[in-house]
Amino acid sequence: MSVLETRGCSIRFGGVQAARDVSIQVGEWEIVGIIGPNGAGKTTTFNIITGFYKPNEGTVWFRGVDVTQMAVEDRTALGMGRTFQNVGLVKGSTVRENLKTAQHLRADYATVAGMLGAPRVFRTEREMAERADILLDILELGDLADTRVAGLPYGVLKRVEVATVLATDPDVLLLDEPSSGMGPEEAHRLGDTLLDLRREFGLSIAMIEHHVPLVVRVCDYVYCLNFGELLAEGKPEEVRNHPEVVRAYLGEDPDELGAA
Amino acid sequence: MTVAGPRVDLDQAEAAAEARAAAVEAEVVEKAKAEAYEAPFKPSPIGWFFRVALAAALVALVLVFPLDRPLSDVRLFSQAAIYAIIGLSLNVLLGYTGQISLGHQAFVGIGSFTSAYLVTVQQWPFAAAVAVAMAVGGLQALVLGGVALRIRGLYFALVTLSYGTVASDSLFGITRFTGGGSGQSAPLPSFAATPHRYYYFCLLVLAVVIWVDYRMMQTKGGRALLALRENPRVASTFGIDVKAYTLFAFVVAGVFAGLGGALLAHKNEVVQAQDYNFQLALIFVIMTVVGGLRSRSGVVIGSAFFALLSSGYLIEKAKVETLFRFLADNTFIPFLSKEVAALVLGPLLLLLTLTLYPGGIGQQIRPIQRWLAGHRFNLHDRGDKEVQISDVRA
Amino acid sequence: MLRGRLGRRRSSRLRPATNRLGPLAGLVGQPRRLLAVAGVVAVVGLFVRLELQQAVVIGLVGGAAYGLLALGLVLIYKSSGVFNFAQAEFGTVAVYALYVLKGPLGYPLALVGALLAAVLMGLVVERLIVRPLFDSPRVTLLVATAGVALMAIGLQFWIGEAKLRRIEPALSRPDRIAVLRQNVSDQQLLLVAALLALGVLLALFFSRTNLGLAILGASQEPVATELAGISVRRLSSFTWALAALLGGVAGVLFAPISGTFGPGELTRGLLIPAFTAAVLGGMTSLPGAFVGGTLVGVAQAGAISYKGLEALPGKGTVIVFLLLITVLTLRPQGLLGSRA
Repeated sequence: MSVLETRGCSIRFGGVQAARDVSIQVGEWEIVGIIGPNGAGKTTTFNIITGFYKPNEGTVWFRGVDVTQMAVEDRTALGMGRTFQNVGLVKGSTVRENLKTAQHLRADYATVAGMLGAPRVFRTEREMAERADILLDILELGDLADTRVAGLPYGVLKRVEVATVLATDPDVLLLDEPSSGMGPEEAHRLGDTLLDLRREFGLSIAMIEHHVPLVVRVCDYVYCLNFGELLAEGKPEEVRNHPEVVRAYLGEDPDELGAA
Repeated sequence: MTVAGPRVDLDQAEAAAEARAAAVEAEVVEKAKAEAYEAPFKPSPIGWFFRVALAAALVALVLVFPLDRPLSDVRLFSQAAIYAIIGLSLNVLLGYTGQISLGHQAFVGIGSFTSAYLVTVQQWPFAAAVAVAMAVGGLQALVLGGVALRIRGLYFALVTLSYGTVASDSLFGITRFTGGGSGQSAPLPSFAATPHRYYYFCLLVLAVVIWVDYRMMQTKGGRALLALRENPRVASTFGIDVKAYTLFAFVVAGVFAGLGGALLAHKNEVVQAQDYNFQLALIFVIMTVVGGLRSRSGVVIGSAFFALLSSGYLIEKAKVETLFRFLADNTFIPFLSKEVAALVLGPLLLLLTLTLYPGGIGQQIRPIQRWLAGHRFNLHDRGDKEVQISDVRA
Repeated sequence: MLRGRLGRRRSSRLRPATNRLGPLAGLVGQPRRLLAVAGVVAVVGLFVRLELQQAVVIGLVGGAAYGLLALGLVLIYKSSGVFNFAQAEFGTVAVYALYVLKGPLGYPLALVGALLAAVLMGLVVERLIVRPLFDSPRVTLLVATAGVALMAIGLQFWIGEAKLRRIEPALSRPDRIAVLRQNVSDQQLLLVAALLALGVLLALFFSRTNLGLAILGASQEPVATELAGISVRRLSSFTWALAALLGGVAGVLFAPISGTFGPGELTRGLLIPAFTAAVLGGMTSLPGAFVGGTLVGVAQAGAISYKGLEALPGKGTVIVFLLLITVLTLRPQGLLGSRA
């Protein structure tokens, strides 16, 4: 059984068909890549999966549960963790505070108890801080724990974001362009990190990615989207050499490419 | 015919650019790391002496200075403490949550009238009346919060403004509840029956509010508010129920405001509807913004400052009135009475804050705060550079 | 290709179909305009049945003042996306100027002076407050304009003191004609006429003149407008001056109807109803502001004189609040606005 699955999801915004009949599966322990030119509906698909958009047609399944109508935060509680294309972090807070914010669902006290100073709250908060530090150490970010997010370089932010999502205790990671803003070397290291994470945390991963070498190296399966529709799927090498995919990337009509 | 190839080695140029970018990034990260590793600064005994002395002086100013002041002055100091509570209430909305309220006089006034009515008409004990005032304040804020979830942006600001005038024109005009034009009397509580005692009581309440506010920001609720202010989508992927926590913020602000209102009523010993006009609501917003959003001490100082300014105390003590009188007698400038000064100076300070010092007082006093907490004095430590009114998401 | 896209957009957005058909022709083909007109007719009919005919007349006059202010609010919102909380203060400042100038200059010249004072204030506010904050979020500007309003009120308290002053109307015959058994004074007629005239002039200005089109263009596509060689900042000054002029007209014509005025009076009495009128009309529609002002004025006058509501204080404020909430929750795009 797949961990995460969309079945025939379609969504329209006004007259624009942003996704049409998209069916994607992420199996246990798989790393699945989603590729496609700009505007192909990759992030839209992510938004359907995580619940920002409700599809006009189709359903989203998580470990055999239909989550199509479920609120975003409830999906997080089930074990979906996602990153954003333009870094989903609380920029005014420090790195550690971000990881504590992401442990929102682990904090099993009432905020009012915390406001009145119940001792249990202090204990829970300390545990959350320790857990944050462990995760930061794993991602080699321990030194930056007390640094404010706002000033950090983009590549580092992407790593911080991964740490933050791990703090939500996910089963599935949904990564939106994790290697953007990274050089080839950094991207290679990111690949190692992803493989490590899968091993250490038992994660399944779905990622939107443009960096082809990374996709080919780490992904078990790849979906290619174009104009909101699935163009091709299969093993990374197959998809990369698929004639439709090649045409979608290079484009026959440059004007059309520009419009997308 | 030969095709002209690229005249530079593009691969090499790209590699060089990447190396440059990597070097810059590494430098930033190294700097942050170096700061993390740097041995923590410990002030010398003399340093500690000066820090303790300054802190003691500040405490003395608040605790000892009012002792031998006339009663009318002490009432104003109580008002300063109460405004600080109101400022912290507004800070929960404007600062932490990014919701605007231009109708905060309604939040406060409802607390005032509830407490005054219960104590005077229903003969309730003071503590119970204040507790109910807080509950009623929280409840009406909850309802307004529900509206805020539906109506977003600048339009919600308009709704709050309109809501505030409804409260002052209509709700506070219901004679049975508010005592009509002459107002509802609200006696001082028996355990703090002199203005001095009441002042210390207000300080105590303010201390509790500051503590509760501080604790809130140390727990998941406070972090949830900061996250949903910056980006509700990101907050919800962290598992935060954005709607529930927005309502939570409104309730907290409403409870604080209800408390402030109740204290204000008993400080004045009478509540009159015409005091809760929309100018007051704007003064509340101004004192919070000038104080500095999300800066607890900034908001407290800003609020106290505006309480003393709008009551005319500062103008009187600074002997500026003589200057105003001189100007009025010798130039065409009319006399600026102390009652009006806040209406002229307040917006001026607001506009200065918005255009030049978006962090408000909180940002300006940050070096002193850090120094008091045992850090090196660094005049340029302005902390959170992005603090500004623009954080209000509307 | 870029230029082609911008060009198409400009032509389609800058000339809404209604403008090409002329100001009145729009009423026919469009159901939502019919809806608004039907709403007004229904309210008036209801009022006549409830024996509130006089409220209709009072409401139409009050509504004209709201409409005039709302035109200014819409103008500023359309051109720069700002909610101008200082709009009513343009009116109060004009009234004060009128009061001071009418002695030395005589009433007609003083009126001109008063409007100039309002325009001057509009220009100053634009230059000192709006322009430095041009790139900041709209809410900053909202708070800033609220600050401007408070400062203007403070200055009025300072210079004018906290007392009510008398101001006589420009045209003094009190009971010129009777409409639905309600006597209407010359001044009230003048106010309604001013709204109608300015409304039509503005509609023509925005559909027929290059400057009007440029302002609309600047609000939709500031970059494209700059590329076309038009200075967005100059347009901003012009819009604020125009909005201030409208506010000034509302002030000098409305204040003499009650005969007295004091500091901040128009902000207290007119600002929120005017905003509600603008919101009713969809916030970006000039005819909408016009219709919205009428609706708010009539609804308010009806609530005040309705017998069943006598126990409730501040009825006028409550009805405006209810209107505002209802429109924003049920039809956020307003009666005449189009869905975003």
